Amino acid sequence: MMPKLYGLLKYSVILLWSAFVVAPFLWALTTSFKTANGVTGGPTYIPWLQYEPSLTGWRSLFGGAGGIDIVKPYLNSIVVTGSASAISLVLGTLAAYGLSRFDYRVGPAKNADVLFFFISQRIMPPIVLAIPFFLMLQFLGLLDSLLGLILVYIALLLPIAVWVMIDFFNNIPRQIDEMAMLDGCTPFGAFFRVILPNSLPGIIVAGLFCIIFGWNDFFFAFTLTFTDAQLLPVAVVALNSSVTPWWSLSASALISVAPLVLIAFLVERFLSRGNLAGAIR
Amino acid sequence: MARITLERVGHRYGHAPYALEPFDMVLEDGRSYALLGPSGCGKTTMLNIISGVVRPSEGRILLDDRDVTVVPISGRNVAQVFQFPVIYQSKSVYENLAFPLRCRRWPIARIKARVAEIADLLDLSGRLGKPAWQLTVDEKQLISLGRGLVRDDVAALLMDEPLTVIDPQMKFQLRRKLKAVSQKARHTVIYVTHDQNEAMTFADEILVMSAGKVVQRGTPQELFERPRTTYVGYFIGSPSMNVFDAEIGAGGVMIGGTPIAPGGALPSGLPTSGLRVGIRPEYASLAQPEDSDTLAATVVGVQDHGSVRIVEVAIGTARARLKLGRDIAPPSAQARIRLRRDKLCLFVDDHLIAAGI
Repeated sequence: MMPKLYGLLKYSVILLWSAFVVAPFLWALTTSFKTANGVTGGPTYIPWLQYEPSLTGWRSLFGGAGGIDIVKPYLNSIVVTGSASAISLVLGTLAAYGLSRFDYRVGPAKNADVLFFFISQRIMPPIVLAIPFFLMLQFLGLLDSLLGLILVYIALLLPIAVWVMIDFFNNIPRQIDEMAMLDGCTPFGAFFRVILPNSLPGIIVAGLFCIIFGWNDFFFAFTLTFTDAQLLPVAVVALNSSVTPWWSLSASALISVAPLVLIAFLVERFLSRGNLAGAIR
Repeated sequence: MARITLERVGHRYGHAPYALEPFDMVLEDGRSYALLGPSGCGKTTMLNIISGVVRPSEGRILLDDRDVTVVPISGRNVAQVFQFPVIYQSKSVYENLAFPLRCRRWPIARIKARVAEIADLLDLSGRLGKPAWQLTVDEKQLISLGRGLVRDDVAALLMDEPLTVIDPQMKFQLRRKLKAVSQKARHTVIYVTHDQNEAMTFADEILVMSAGKVVQRGTPQELFERPRTTYVGYFIGSPSMNVFDAEIGAGGVMIGGTPIAPGGALPSGLPTSGLRVGIRPEYASLAQPEDSDTLAATVVGVQDHGSVRIVEVAIGTARARLKLGRDIAPPSAQARIRLRRDKLCLFVDDHLIAAGI
């Protein structure tokens, strides 16, 4: 009796939570096929029966009347987020491994201080960084360019990668490295052949964080670009006008979130494989 | 496959006192050694110094005639098995065992054959394809052992209490296999343990350690018959050696006023204080009526160990234990005890000065 009741309770809670998560998506989905009349006429859900579906919202994203062309900013976003995340992940993983395994001294600063220096980059509010970044990119002639954005995003994403990865490496016992070296690896071999394959879940988590932060950033994309290197979040804002085009915004929200959902589905099975780090005992 | 020489090697972690006091030692090629001692006596530190995991704060290490003091771990060709399983989680059992060979760039066919051989020895053949992280703890430790044994050309095989996590029945079997494999490969083996039985059965020679020092080095029999200090007497043997305060009197060596070795050939110049007499429980027995020089004892307790009985007695204020065969009826309350004179160990300030009086 008890297990049955427990199961019922468990699934009720899960169902309720799922409804909370999924409802906004369904809402956005129906709204994206509505027009002004459909939106203002009270809550309706079933196309053709309750409202007349229309492609106005979707058309406005691809050069339709009063809309934008989303394709170029979309590709820009993929390039910038993808490259910045990949570079941050590589640099961050190497830095984190170094900080986790070797002792550094920079003047009076030791490993913990170096780590804090990395992470402190994310402590200050972004607005503080806007003007320095602007001036630096201006000096380099990289304002409104994808390369400039990639550099800025690396600066923003690297601390996240280091932070996630150092925690992961600290949880992998040093004996694994020592064992690999006893088995005949060089220190670099131990990292690449043993530690790195063991760290896949951590790398995936760090990668996810990087991609999510990079993809969703509006502030720096807005302050450091004008027209050429426009990114998706900035382009979407251009949809707004005196009468809020809910249908266009809904369509753009769906198309913006699509890559993240796709990635989440792809990596989910790696994440649920459990913590591989506990290699001892 | 190599002689290991340690020259004035000592180590301290930071500014702490010596974890290992500077000492000289030569471990001969192809022999097996056990490092025996309580936790924290420096056994593991010594092992890690030989393998290169720890760089000693002073001294030199030589493998054969090659100075490897500053050679990194990977350049020493030493295999080490840790106390707890260290496995590569992301690899299969096969890949775990093959890894040391891959690092040496063995041809694939040769790797295959060797891994199969080791897997067979450790009963892992059925699990070669499994991901290593799915195995139980003792299976994982078998992998660790296997990785230590798989290379047949190592300079030395170091094992740090490798059987801790293995269950007792398997332990015995595994110890025999380990011994057989290492003898066949003529490895120089160093085996760290705090279990004297393990040390005695496994090693040609035992190094007893205490507080960062090697106290005595010898064959199991030497350690048993002639412990250099009372500490070794306590540490080796089960139950440990009985040690009594003794004095020299008119009747020779006396315990609590009773002579136990009258007129014996005592070393000259014995000090008058700090004298102690040690006797193994195996060499103390119930006295026969015709025996002389016996000690009066009160029986405190009897433990039945199956094949033998351990009888605990009080002799004056001292306690002692006797190991008696099952065919001897344990005494009830009062007894007289005889100590074999040729097995008595005489200690001054806890250091052996004579065995057999």
